[in-house]
Amino acid sequence: MRLRRYVLLRVLQFVPVTLVVIVLNFLLIHLAPGDISLLLAGENADPAYLALVREKFGLDKPFLEQLWRYLVQVASGDLGLSFRSRQPVLGEILEKVPATLLLVGTSLLLSVAIGTWVGTWIARRPGSTLDSAVSFGAVALFSVPVFWFGLMLILLFTVEIPILPAMGMTSLDGPRSGIGYVLDIARHMVLPVAALMTVSVGQYVRLARTSVADVLGEHFITTVRAIGFPERTVLQHYALRNALLPVVTVLGLQLGLVLTGAVLTETVFSWPGLGRMIYEAILARDTPVIMGAFIVMSLTVALASLVTDLVYAALDPRVAL
Amino acid sequence: MRQVLRRPAIALSALVLVFALAVALAAPWLPLPDPTAMAASPYEPPGAAHWLGTDNFGRDILSRLVWGTRLALMVAIVSSLISSLLGIVLGSLSGYFGGWIDGIASRAFDVFLLIPTFFLVLLIVALFGSGIQYTMVAIALTTWPRSARIMRSQVLTLKSRTYVQAALSAGASHPWVLARHIVPNGLAPIVTDGTILMGLAILTEAGLSFLGLGDQNATSWGRMIFEGQRHLRLAPWMSIFPGLALLILVAALNLLGDGLNQALNPQLQRQSLRAKRREPVDRPSPQAAAAPILEVRDLRMEYRLEAATIRAVDGVSFALPAGGSLGIVGESGCGKSSMGAALLQVMAPNAAITGGDVVFAGRPILSEGHPVRIDGQEAIRTIRWTRLSTIFQSAINALNPVMTVQQQLVEAYLLHRPEAGRTAALARIGELFDVIGIPRRRMASYPHELSGGMRQRVMIALSLLHEPELVIADEPTTALDVLIQDQILGEIDELRRRLGLALILITHDMGIVAETCERVAVMYAGEIVELAPVERIFERPGHPYTQALIASLPTVSGPRRVLSALPGEPFVPTGTIAGCRFAPRCRMAADICRETVPPRVITGEGHEVLCHFAEASR
Ligand code: SF4
Repeated sequence: MRLRRYVLLRVLQFVPVTLVVIVLNFLLIHLAPGDISLLLAGENADPAYLALVREKFGLDKPFLEQLWRYLVQVASGDLGLSFRSRQPVLGEILEKVPATLLLVGTSLLLSVAIGTWVGTWIARRPGSTLDSAVSFGAVALFSVPVFWFGLMLILLFTVEIPILPAMGMTSLDGPRSGIGYVLDIARHMVLPVAALMTVSVGQYVRLARTSVADVLGEHFITTVRAIGFPERTVLQHYALRNALLPVVTVLGLQLGLVLTGAVLTETVFSWPGLGRMIYEAILARDTPVIMGAFIVMSLTVALASLVTDLVYAALDPRVAL
Repeated sequence: MRQVLRRPAIALSALVLVFALAVALAAPWLPLPDPTAMAASPYEPPGAAHWLGTDNFGRDILSRLVWGTRLALMVAIVSSLISSLLGIVLGSLSGYFGGWIDGIASRAFDVFLLIPTFFLVLLIVALFGSGIQYTMVAIALTTWPRSARIMRSQVLTLKSRTYVQAALSAGASHPWVLARHIVPNGLAPIVTDGTILMGLAILTEAGLSFLGLGDQNATSWGRMIFEGQRHLRLAPWMSIFPGLALLILVAALNLLGDGLNQALNPQLQRQSLRAKRREPVDRPSPQAAAAPILEVRDLRMEYRLEAATIRAVDGVSFALPAGGSLGIVGESGCGKSSMGAALLQVMAPNAAITGGDVVFAGRPILSEGHPVRIDGQEAIRTIRWTRLSTIFQSAINALNPVMTVQQQLVEAYLLHRPEAGRTAALARIGELFDVIGIPRRRMASYPHELSGGMRQRVMIALSLLHEPELVIADEPTTALDVLIQDQILGEIDELRRRLGLALILITHDMGIVAETCERVAVMYAGEIVELAPVERIFERPGHPYTQALIASLPTVSGPRRVLSALPGEPFVPTGTIAGCRFAPRCRMAADICRETVPPRVITGEGHEVLCHFAEASR
């Protein structure tokens, strides 16, 4: 039952991250210039709502008590109210999750698949011209500003050769159900997914390349080659299997960058997800929404790193549980 | 190829950065219009007057681009500087003092590393307003754990170094030792990571400005794209050029970091060396002939290194009768393992067989350095592991760490006998485990769950899987303690006699050879310098090197000593070689030894010696 112990320990490590994020959030509001109640209720709040917010956050109470109240509040899932809609922030965020998940999930899956494939392919000849060229291209790819790349895609495929839609997730007059609906969404996804992939695909190419090349240099590969397994089997069955482990771990660490890319991509393509919501909240200075988004995004990243660690432990028998 | 493409990448990116820096510093003096003032009519496309066109306010885009360089570089330098400094201080304190301080600190690094930079920046800017200083602080605040982690591990390795310990015992204070001896020596990877951090900072600021949250008073590339977005159809140049500038600057930083990283880690480069191998040649299928199990003539193999080519195996010839046993002895680096690899034709990418013939049981497998192909199939593939197998050195790494022992053995069995089925495979493996002395219940273990001795036994089982006629065992017991060594060697010897298989035992230990082999070949610098029956070589060693090896053997009960007891450095066979390779270390060396290559002298029945002073038998 060492596995259970490991899972428990690892899950417990989630707690400090949560605490740091919430406390950081709290400290920042207090350090910010201006009246906290105005930050939380909005510049044009009516006096009644202002009073409500003051009461809820205990703004007339001592500092530590306020912190405690805030912690309890967040822990119980209350991220405050958006001052534009007066709706709970958490609900607003959850409502937008599916659209963002679709975008982020698709582009991550494609990135991992394509990146690993290309990386494995060039790992067979490290140091070749092709290898250098692809590695160069990979670095260039993750140096591309994702929002600019999105604009360039629009310029190319919507303005110059109008074949793909650049706005939103569905056509205004498109079908609302059945296969037509799915295809409509898929068409709308092409450009944003392609843009968002630039954030991660280069990383996966490099990662898969190094990791496969490393594994191919190990002794046990010499063994399986000597035994006589065909090169395809050596590469796909043995090398890739071992090399995928580091790819798994990075998936968690990468998520922060990918979510950042998602916010920018959604803004460019008016994709109705979290990023777009955050952008609109920023324009309206809707502080509670921005704070909520910060908490949710940080915890998502921490959760992803937790999950990848657990997956890694499950996949690699060497991890000392 | 590496030199051509990767070094230029460093040079090119350094050039880009110097150029960007020069442009940024010179911006006020360049003959450009005011970046914030209307210089021409709006939406003017790129042309002679305004190379990159004008924007919606008629401002010159080139001028705005140049001024934007200033901002980008400032953000990059300031935020990565704060971040690195913070990281260096906290990381080195954590690593230096260790204990609970380190425990808490490194936990904290991990926690802060998980906070996504961009969202914290968004929050800070939303709360404090959009000033460039907030952006830079926020970037530093979420990235410092990167350098802290690097610095910590650097300090952990550096603090045990002799010069640090010496300074401490000479009475130097902790802060002094840290600042003077440790931190400066651990900075290199921080600088490397710093360049990548700079790229990240630039992209973060640009992203922020693109969302309209950048400093309103600054000319920023991100802000230019933000403004260009609305006029994408009308004036695409408004967004194209600042984006290109961003891409080039960030790519230059990333490529520089990458290149520096590779320059700092030489082992990353070595993988890429490849030697050119010879093409296979076709031969007719041989008539079955009762021949020695293995015949090797003038075998040669080379390693390609950065500076030179090493002739690791340099003209080796010998024959081994069926069921016979031959020990190959020599210091590490003498070419004995390379010879084993060449016989099996499994070599590192930078190695190639450059000459020689090998015949296995009358079947040619190597002809003048070319792999032989019989009936369209490489001859070595038809016998390797089924008739000619090997026990690899260090079984710890020779087995796949993420598969159970049983899986690996079953797959190896089924590969050559696909018709046998899983049950037959398992039965055979169980049988082998009994022979080799591993309890059957350990079959389902992963390699790391077995002891060194067990793993070596698994490796032996793997090599015997298909009842081979010849096994090449390369240092099969080096990593084990003496007791288990003897046990396993005894087992190999017994198996050999019982199964009638031939054995080539590669080792550095003369004592092991004496116990296990019938004949001995002593290798030095890629050549066999003496070949003789085992009794004879101990009674009348003919080569000064063999004599030295035997002299360094312990007496009956003494501890086994390794061959490095011999004074002097082993000879590395490269370039043209005049005279005897052993001459620099030979106590009998005379002038002739340094001038003329020694002859191969037959000194008795099956006994040959490569030395000027060997006495030929009459
Ligand atoms: S040839 Fe000369 S140097 Fe070489 S081993 Fe014989 S005596 Fe020594």
